[in-house]
Amino acid sequence: MTRGMILQRLDAVQFAMWELHLYMDTHPDDLAALSLYKKYEEMNEKLVCEYEEQFGPLYGNSDPGASWLKNPWPWDLGGSC
Amino acid sequence: MFVYEKKLQYPVKITNPNPKYAQIIISQYGGPDGELGASLRYLSQRYSMPFPELKGLLTDVGVEELGHLEMIGAIVYQLTRNLTPEEIKRSGFDTYFVDHTTGVYPTAASGMPWTAASMQSKGDLITDLSENMAAEQKARTTYDNILRLVDDPDVREPIKFLREREIVHFQRFGEGLRLATDKMDCKNFYAFNPSFDK
Repeated sequence: MTRGMILQRLDAVQFAMWELHLYMDTHPDDLAALSLYKKYEEMNEKLVCEYEEQFGPLYGNSDPGASWLKNPWPWDLGGSC
Repeated sequence: MFVYEKKLQYPVKITNPNPKYAQIIISQYGGPDGELGASLRYLSQRYSMPFPELKGLLTDVGVEELGHLEMIGAIVYQLTRNLTPEEIKRSGFDTYFVDHTTGVYPTAASGMPWTAASMQSKGDLITDLSENMAAEQKARTTYDNILRLVDDPDVREPIKFLREREIVHFQRFGEGLRLATDKMDCKNFYAFNPSFDK
């Protein structure tokens, strides 16, 4: 997958996770939401690994230094897709 | 603590710079109903929240607003690249440019710099949650106004995403208020402020 394709999938999966996360703040006992969350979490883990292997760290602690500093940054043109 | 994730919540890729749009959209960076105020409002209010659901909700929405601040910054940044002095004068961006060049600065479109006077942290959960529901609607109206003024789909798509988030947050804060009142004195919610009275 290209960087843009992985990013698009990450955006989608993380959006679903985040929506469920906020929902569970006010519905903490909804087990169906929790199991759906876990499904997306699994997909997210795979995508993060795939992204970081090819394009450098998504999180500051995973690989500091030159690969963390590498362009593009998220606000750069082409940085977020 | 916070850990940075090196991506936006939703992509921003603007092909055509437009300083006039930047001058309007900067209001959601540092204006009275913008993302900076939203984030500081929730992240400050959470300390006096008495129930775990509300501590979580204010933390999570406050953090998401920081992600939205970053998206607005990216939109303004991309709208103001490669400008000529003529474009700056013609568009009316000159009044911003003289003070900040093309740096991203937290200000309202009207020129008022960001001020904590546009937000509140009252230490009373009914008051704070009601403020937050109003704040989400004020931000939604601002995004509606931006959509009335901006034609470029590259700019409209991320703005539409942010507008929808205001509606979701309004819903969650409404549920938060209901959760709070469910735990309070049902004969008189105002008899006792669980954020302060022991």
